[in-house]
Amino acid sequence: MHSILLWLALIFYFVGIVVMVPSLMKHRQSVPSWSLVALGAGLVAHGASLAARAVNLHRLPVIDVQSALSFFAFLVTLAFFLAYLRYRIDILGIFMLPLVFVLTLISALRPGPSFQSVAFRSGWLMVHISTIMLGYVGFFLTFVAAVMYLIQERQLKSRNPQQTYYRLPSLEVCDQLYFRSLKFGLPFLTIGILTGYVWAARTWHGPWELDPKILAALITWLIYLFLFSARLSGSWPGKLSAYVAIVGFAAIMVTFVGISFVSGWHGYIPRLGKTP
Amino acid sequence: MNLALVGINHRTAPVEVRERMSIPETQLREAVTDLVRREGIKEGLILSTCNRVEVVANAQDDADPGSIIREFLADHHQCNLALYESYFYQHSQQEAVEHLFRVASSLDSMIVGEPQILGQLKQAYTAAREAGALNGTLNEISLQALAVARKVRRNTAIGASAVSVSYAAVELARKIFGDLTGKTILVLGAGKMSEIAARNLIRSGAGSILVANRTYERAVELAQAFHGTAIRIEQMLDHVEKADIVICSTSAPHYVIHRHHAERWLAVRKNRPMFFVDISVPRNIDPAVNELDNAFVYDIDDLGQVVEANKKQREREAEWAEEIIQEEVQKAMRRLASREIVPTIVALEQRLESIRENELDRYRSRLGDLTPQQREAVDALTHGILNKILHGPIRELKSGVGQPEQSSLVTMVRKMFGVAE
Repeated sequence: MHSILLWLALIFYFVGIVVMVPSLMKHRQSVPSWSLVALGAGLVAHGASLAARAVNLHRLPVIDVQSALSFFAFLVTLAFFLAYLRYRIDILGIFMLPLVFVLTLISALRPGPSFQSVAFRSGWLMVHISTIMLGYVGFFLTFVAAVMYLIQERQLKSRNPQQTYYRLPSLEVCDQLYFRSLKFGLPFLTIGILTGYVWAARTWHGPWELDPKILAALITWLIYLFLFSARLSGSWPGKLSAYVAIVGFAAIMVTFVGISFVSGWHGYIPRLGKTP
Repeated sequence: MNLALVGINHRTAPVEVRERMSIPETQLREAVTDLVRREGIKEGLILSTCNRVEVVANAQDDADPGSIIREFLADHHQCNLALYESYFYQHSQQEAVEHLFRVASSLDSMIVGEPQILGQLKQAYTAAREAGALNGTLNEISLQALAVARKVRRNTAIGASAVSVSYAAVELARKIFGDLTGKTILVLGAGKMSEIAARNLIRSGAGSILVANRTYERAVELAQAFHGTAIRIEQMLDHVEKADIVICSTSAPHYVIHRHHAERWLAVRKNRPMFFVDISVPRNIDPAVNELDNAFVYDIDDLGQVVEANKKQREREAEWAEEIIQEEVQKAMRRLASREIVPTIVALEQRLESIRENELDRYRSRLGDLTPQQREAVDALTHGILNKILHGPIRELKSGVGQPEQSSLVTMVRKMFGVAE
């Protein structure tokens, strides 16, 4: 059931993107309403798919890679709608939705295994993963805002505006989106790391603290903490903040995806055997 | 529909002619009433702005609306219109519709995409409507023109970017600061240019204004005009950091604001951006300031360059708008034309049906008593013949919809079958 709904969501997303992107690239000023309707339908179907999966598993569908990707994609779409409704940045979808589509597609192509390790049933783990995801969604938005800021800043500095100048929002709006999403992401990442710590301490014995993924997450957390305090005090120019936000998101990608291959505990499936 | 549009605009006529031909808003209703009272005219619409006068009329089929409009203009302005003939253009039928749609969508404007024309057309429509001059086809076309204009505005960015230097500054400020509410402007050098720029910024919502000038009295004067604060020129550099937007147009022959100044201000401002508009020649702001993060410096040429880019942008949008208009014109014409042939088809069918019934009546006695089956067969036979005969003309009428020869085709078919107009 959840798989059918996921495919349905994917089709809606596809339609929404296919309607939106060419018309924005070409001439149109604003997002066609059909596109928003399709994306909204996709979001509903996607939510239903996750709900069906949750009922099936009796827990939040986040503990296998496929479900986690699907959950993350769902949150990104939700974030797109919230940011779009708040800031009316028409071009936002072009930055955010292709990722949604790819993640949902990967998730739909490989239905997740339902493994039943006792360790993965912990409530702490649910909170850990879902808050980390919320943090990541916030930081993805920060990343998008930073990219838009840098492009628009370059346009303004060049004093010779190109097409993107007309499509992108003002620096101020980029900055607002940047800071708000940062303020949203940081607490969730913090909670995520803390609950992860608690869960690990209760579940595992041994030197789990040296797990590469945990170290990478700490580094990521530090980057965003710096970014937050720099933005709060105004001590960094906008461009530097934007670059660091991009580096921060790269660190997330490394943490989320890259290190899963070398991490002992976080590799989701392959190394479950090591769980005591 | 027998539509004609006679007009002049900024491209075809100099201002002397346009003002001679213009019809002030207060006389609009009266004038349009006069127009439709003329023999043969069914509907009329008059649009008169400082850049154009357009008179549209829908006439009876045998009238010549173009020459009636000319008569009307000559009478109204009490002049010999032949003297002005070379300034006028005339469009009829589809071309008139297209012209009206383009005018409404601001594609025919002096500054493409300017927004006033839509309001002016609305006024013209209201006046004509109130005068009872719009009640059929032209009414529908006028409403469609307004709808098309809104569609163009909604779906293209035709009016989105500034095409004058002083508005370009406002637009750039918006691209940096977003909303200008509460932003502080510093005007350095209280000349005419900086006054215009400051006024535009304030109109767009900017908050407080500081004015510094070599002669303090002039600074006070300008500051009062904007409810701002005047600053003595010696203290000017201490105040710049408060300003989000600095407009500079002093007559100093050298840089007034240097890179190290701007560095200091940005540090105090905690990297909140600053926008410098340098409209003075020779320039007063060191271009190197633009190299600093969060500082944006535009001199007069840069603003000109932005305006050029904006114009190109508008042209690109105008191409898209033309596509929309072509589509809408085709749609409108098909709708109007297909409605125009309906009465002819109905009349044709009625005419042949009455012939059939008459002939059947005449031969009824000779046919004698028919069984119901036989009667049905006779009916089917005669109906079949009629339908076969009608098939050709109706197909031709339908395929002629929207074609230039449509109305002559309609007339011909009517004549051939003896159907009165």
